Amino acid sequence: MSIGIKAIEYVLPEKVLTNEELSCLYEDWTPEKILDKTGIASRHVVSKDEHASDLAERAAKKLFSTGITTPEEIDFLLLATQSPDYLLPATACILQDKLGIPQNAGAFDFNLGCSAYIYGLALAKSLINTDIAKNVLLIMSETYSKYIHPLDKSVRTIFGDAAAATLISDNGNRIGNFDLGTDGRGKDLLIVPAGGSMLPKSEATATETYDSGNIRSLDNLFMDGAEVFNFTIRVVPESIRNVLKKNKLTLDEIDLFIFHQANKFMLDFLRKKLKIPKEKYYINMQDIGNTVSASIPIALKRAEEEGKIKKGYKVLISGFGVGLSWGSTILYY
Amino acid sequence: MTTQEKLAMLEEIMELESGSLNAGTKLEDLEEWNSMAALALIALMDEEFNKILTGKQIKEFKTVQDILDFME
Repeated sequence: MSIGIKAIEYVLPEKVLTNEELSCLYEDWTPEKILDKTGIASRHVVSKDEHASDLAERAAKKLFSTGITTPEEIDFLLLATQSPDYLLPATACILQDKLGIPQNAGAFDFNLGCSAYIYGLALAKSLINTDIAKNVLLIMSETYSKYIHPLDKSVRTIFGDAAAATLISDNGNRIGNFDLGTDGRGKDLLIVPAGGSMLPKSEATATETYDSGNIRSLDNLFMDGAEVFNFTIRVVPESIRNVLKKNKLTLDEIDLFIFHQANKFMLDFLRKKLKIPKEKYYINMQDIGNTVSASIPIALKRAEEEGKIKKGYKVLISGFGVGLSWGSTILYY
Repeated sequence: MTTQEKLAMLEEIMELESGSLNAGTKLEDLEEWNSMAALALIALMDEEFNKILTGKQIKEFKTVQDILDFME
């Protein structure tokens, strides 16, 4: 038995936000400069009446339409989102009904961002390994654009919305051993401060403030780019070393590295630091930006479609970000 | 490493012409001194100087000399 990934599909919202549009809003920023600094030319963003459950539904239906499985065969639904339809109930429960997944299936949400896919694979593997489930539908659906102030270029240039659906069962591309980690001291580095019980939304939290060229309120997403970068430098190389050790492999034995597609600058830096050859390192985010939890499954799917993942390949995946939280594992194709 | 070499590195990450920076240059006068330059500086400190540069330390830099001092 090898518990693993059987199929991945993803969807993007229709609406596209280009560097040309952004450069009109941000003084001194040309479309070329945004592309050069971030590696992103455009990103997809949801419309006002488009929600995490809508994207999730589309991604799941795309997966079902391939004929690989049916809603009736799904016995567990895991959904990662930090922009849920409601504070409660869980978006996964809404989706069970929308998709026609049987009522004897388990379903719940988990609140993680850029590391969520790795955690989702760990959960799915455990559920199958303990005979709790046979066919797990793992969905990443994120709409950070709802939290982003239009004039905060530190995040608006980077993040894009997307959803990805992954089917995990006991005869797929094997999921290896995991390295997982958490550092809650960094909770303020990537945060939407208002809207929870700690700081309910109010007129005061909606007050806009100016911060080194960017405008946002406490209702908006905030990212401390410098400190998130320092966090990445600190934990990602270590997580890669750990996951290789836990899978009894060396860096040279990995055929392809797919990291959370944060931005080109960070990805290039990590590649150099880890001394990974360019041809074994996958970056493909120019047209979609940083899609948070969906970035790894989207990159996996695109790499497969481009023929960059072949039978017998060992693919190392690593996610890191909001929490702070990180995780890595190896997929055996 | 000479001061000249360090200045050249800073000019490179801020995409400035060679010779445009000196120790006394005020960072607030530089249009190129922005959040992306800060990330590039963190990367430079890690790669070339094996030093961790925090966001807080970056905010405390006032002149190019402050950065040069950190590189010591």
